[in-house]
Amino acid sequence: MTELNERLSAGPAGAVLANTGAGSREVLTWARIGRRLQPLFVPAVILIGWELAVRSGAVPSGLLSSPAGIATGLWFWAFGTAGSGMNAYSGTLIANIFNSGERVAEGYALAICLGVPGGLMIGFNRGFARTLDPLIQAMRPIPITAWMPVSLTLFGVGAASAISLIALGAFYPIVVNSVMGARDINRQLVRAALMMGATPRQIMLRVIVPSALPAIFVGLRLGAGVAWTAVVIAEMVAVKSGLGYVLWDAYYIGRMEIVLGDMAVIGLLGFLSDRLILAVERRVLHWKNDNSR
Amino acid sequence: MPRVETVDSELERKIDLRKLTKIYGGDRPVAAVSDINLQLAEGRFAAILGPSGCGKSTLLNLVAGFESASHGSVTVFGKPVVAPGPERAVVFQEANLFPWLNVFDNVTFSARLKGAPRQHYQPLAEELLAAVGLTGFERHMPDQLSGGMRQRVGIARALLMRPEVLLMDEPFGALDAQTRLQMQQLLLDVWEKYRKTVMFITHDIDEAIFLADVVYVMSARPGRITTELQVPLPRPRTMSVVTSGTFNQLRVEIFESIGQHRQ
Repeated sequence: MTELNERLSAGPAGAVLANTGAGSREVLTWARIGRRLQPLFVPAVILIGWELAVRSGAVPSGLLSSPAGIATGLWFWAFGTAGSGMNAYSGTLIANIFNSGERVAEGYALAICLGVPGGLMIGFNRGFARTLDPLIQAMRPIPITAWMPVSLTLFGVGAASAISLIALGAFYPIVVNSVMGARDINRQLVRAALMMGATPRQIMLRVIVPSALPAIFVGLRLGAGVAWTAVVIAEMVAVKSGLGYVLWDAYYIGRMEIVLGDMAVIGLLGFLSDRLILAVERRVLHWKNDNSR
Repeated sequence: MPRVETVDSELERKIDLRKLTKIYGGDRPVAAVSDINLQLAEGRFAAILGPSGCGKSTLLNLVAGFESASHGSVTVFGKPVVAPGPERAVVFQEANLFPWLNVFDNVTFSARLKGAPRQHYQPLAEELLAAVGLTGFERHMPDQLSGGMRQRVGIARALLMRPEVLLMDEPFGALDAQTRLQMQQLLLDVWEKYRKTVMFITHDIDEAIFLADVVYVMSARPGRITTELQVPLPRPRTMSVVTSGTFNQLRVEIFESIGQHRQ
């Protein structure tokens, strides 16, 4: 008994438990809130320090906007009246989000349509693997940035150029992971389906696809990350609208609060699209989650 | 004349292996099984008994159609075997259930492949799940089941196909001793109900005698059938037969046969 008490009062948690009555419950609650807020501590210190550094003049505001300045800039970018006063960006944020979002969605969809079926075929069929896999592996080290002149030559300045780069960039992680998913499937499951009379098509749709889905989703999440990278680069060069275009344009005319606000928006969109894919994955792969719970 | 036809088809209703040989290629070809002759009539339960590496699983894969013979022929109920097919159901060593499907969907997979409406297979599925003692587990996922329960799903899945023969590849080999005994009894109870032709691969002498009508003993490298033993134990059998004199006599015969063919 004494040993137990000693053990309980040993750590900070023990100190809390040693208190009795209403007070202890309060302490526990505060401790819990503290743990919840812990991830925000370092960002808060940075933001406050940053704000103070700019306000005190230690960092010139022309070089780096303060967090409050960025917030104000974002506010007018989002909700200001378009074409009013001196602010060229006023009220255009939502339209730019839609521009970039649409390109990402189209390029990404194209990458999925080519990458998933292609990867599954390469992973499962040796003939496809021999004909296509070396080509993909040889092309993959060429960064999508290096493709920029080619895509501009082929598609000109415009959305098609950006979409082709996004599709190409997202295609590689999707196809590579789909290949692995199909290659690593349990061949005994294919035998089980064969002995139950499955046709090749049914083997693909009812055995290989579900087996490969966990790997495919890894590729989809990586691909979405590449897609947002690609849209920013493509819009800086190949299109005259969207978040990437604004980013570069604002930099040129010295609007650092828009540059930094733009970065925050791109980061948020990337985060949200990853959460969306994760939510879909949880639903589709419920049989996996049940186990790890 | 229809009478003659009946006789003909009855003669053909068996597993018929003739001079069956499987050689794995390469620079040094190895015969996994060699010159196997085996005739197993409809409704009979055969155990193929042998040490690991003797080619007994290869033999089963040849009958299942997962592998093709180098020489000789495999004929099941009059049809030469060229590929896997639903008339030859397999119960695997690991149950090989689809982990993304629940128990009911695993058991009814073969019917759903054919696009059969649910009312066609549901009664049989429920009957088979009851027969293997899994009523109430329909919505469980394979990962939530024990090894023994997964094999029971595998047995129900195989029987739902209404196969001509049931091929079982050491289905209880990975189970603990106690569960294995339970599963052997359960298999016999289910078999009494459906009386399928069974080819059961095992390395367990007691299991072979307890389950089968006839035990084929195999030797290794190359895999050959060295002994064929009839098991005259009455059916239905329960665990108590393992203490009978006949059972022990058969054990001794099998031990002697194995001893004779060991190098």
